[in-house]
Amino acid sequence: MAEYSRLAKGTVSSTGGMTPVKLPFVPDFVEIINYTAAATPASGGKPFIRWDANMGQGYAVYETFNATPVLTSAVTTTNGISTFYAGLALQYGARQQIIGATKADPIVFNVTAHGYQVGDVVIFEGLYQTSTTGMPQIAGMPFVITAVGDADHFTVKWNGNQSNYTALSGSPSGAYVKKVLYPFLYEPGVSFIEAITTGTTTTIVTTAPHNLVVGQEVAFRIPSSWGTTELNSLPNNIIPGSPKYGYVVTVTDARTVVVNINSTGYTAYNSNQTVASVPGLNFPQMVAVGDVNTGGWPITSTSVLYPPPTFLREGGSYSPTINGPAIQGAFVNNTSQGFIIGSTIAGAASDVLYYRAFLHDYSNP
Amino acid sequence: MPANGGTTCRFMRPRALQPPTVQLGNSGIDPPAQVPQRDIIDAQMAFFGTGCIINEQVILQDQEGVLAWVSERLAVAMRQAEDLILRDYIVSAASEINAGGGSNSDNPTNLGISDFSLVATTLDTNNAYKFMSGIEGMNRHGTGPVRSAYFMLSSTELQTDFDSLVGQGFLSQWNYPTNASALPSEYGSVFNIRILTSSEAPVARGASANSGDVYYNTVLGKQAITHINQDGYSMNLIYRDPYYSGMLAQNATLAVKFAQAQALTQDTAIRNLLCTRLANLGV
Repeated sequence: MAEYSRLAKGTVSSTGGMTPVKLPFVPDFVEIINYTAAATPASGGKPFIRWDANMGQGYAVYETFNATPVLTSAVTTTNGISTFYAGLALQYGARQQIIGATKADPIVFNVTAHGYQVGDVVIFEGLYQTSTTGMPQIAGMPFVITAVGDADHFTVKWNGNQSNYTALSGSPSGAYVKKVLYPFLYEPGVSFIEAITTGTTTTIVTTAPHNLVVGQEVAFRIPSSWGTTELNSLPNNIIPGSPKYGYVVTVTDARTVVVNINSTGYTAYNSNQTVASVPGLNFPQMVAVGDVNTGGWPITSTSVLYPPPTFLREGGSYSPTINGPAIQGAFVNNTSQGFIIGSTIAGAASDVLYYRAFLHDYSNP
Repeated sequence: MPANGGTTCRFMRPRALQPPTVQLGNSGIDPPAQVPQRDIIDAQMAFFGTGCIINEQVILQDQEGVLAWVSERLAVAMRQAEDLILRDYIVSAASEINAGGGSNSDNPTNLGISDFSLVATTLDTNNAYKFMSGIEGMNRHGTGPVRSAYFMLSSTELQTDFDSLVGQGFLSQWNYPTNASALPSEYGSVFNIRILTSSEAPVARGASANSGDVYYNTVLGKQAITHINQDGYSMNLIYRDPYYSGMLAQNATLAVKFAQAQALTQDTAIRNLLCTRLANLGV
């Protein structure tokens, strides 16, 4: 009995939306107590939730308070419990038709029942309004969703309010968006640049979380049409063949870092690329190349005793890897597995969720 | 990485010093000293493993020697894992160049001959070290000399596109003057790039501007990347007899585990050349 089964328990603070729980296995049964909802019965509260793999991904059975409030039972078939095995890159969610997009900064996309939440990373396809208009210049770059207006609208940060960008409308043919399922399996890595502010230091804004820390050494790949090519690590006109690097001196937020390169007088950054340039258009990138750190991640009141590498996410939260300690700025593996508590049953943000997860020795079927 | 060496492997890469191109003159005064600097690259070791539980009745009754073939499959799974981890790490860490020399009007485009030239020029300018020396031309029908070259790791799905570049610069592997230095997975060469193909090369399905598949062709010099094993832990095949399982000793286990880390040791010597295909051939 139970010789090879896996059992896990723990507590997690709800994000109010999809709440991932990383485990050393993929469970086939999960039960959750929403302590916050149980302590204060209120209409719509869901204090007890269960899921079995045989129900299907995204399902869950739960008890919920009615208006009285008295507990009743219910079932969800979407955004319940699902499992994940994040071990391979370049995996995507379902492709969804884009109905429209604003010519604005940031850009608001209209997609029916997109299902995304802040922090999700997406890529776009097409984005042509006609063969010569639209915003295909940003197709292929990963973007983090910075705001969700409603079930049909979400926002990504890019200056679409420029002369070479036009709004999308009427569900243009070939205009799609899809979610990057596991965007940060290896951290840090390549980031795509949304904006550069030059000066005595250089401020870089990326399209998705950069996963950098203070002390990180970075290099730049700015194609000539994007302007600020002086940041590029090569060529070096002073010391032949020696790459020019910068160091991160401030991490402003998940998408913004300040680098110690004095870029005063450098060519201004230009994200106003033309639609005609799209075939073969290269994207500006920032690459992590090393670090000057010597210590690991500091312990906090909520961390484990020897904290693993932890990375800043959109919205200000931090996500730890499942590894042991490492020097800050090191290249680390962030693959993981476990289950996701979906938005239907996750409760309100900061709800205290106690979970138990099982992988049974024997299951029929 | 040596045992008892901690969790993180640290590489030190010296920076170049400024060449002293100004003459000393006759003042007798030494020029100011330069400060030698090194770039530091850290990589955290990670551990991996998988295994199988095999009931003793299977071992007793199966006619195929189940422990032997399960061991083989575990070994293959482990080696594939090593490759896939390294592959996905390169996808996430190395900078990208979108192919623009093709004719399919996508972004990236299909591979054009100029894309090979561009990426090889980029690595040459960055002083990357080539993997292979050139092959001198010989008086054999249909063959041609091969330049000294970087390796490009590509998908087998692109082989039709490479074939379409015959006559424009692509030289099939069987058209080399001699195949002595050709690798089994080598498909051919273009200019300063020799192409190795694999069915497990990274592909982002439907991720191009026109919803085509995007292929990551990793072009690299010798000093670009490192794969780090934990000392004494590169591969462990673990067999546990049913004796150790339970009261009735019914189940044997077979498992593999390994540890590895990886890092770009020279970011300027590697590029992911992204491309789509000339046409979808339904492969």
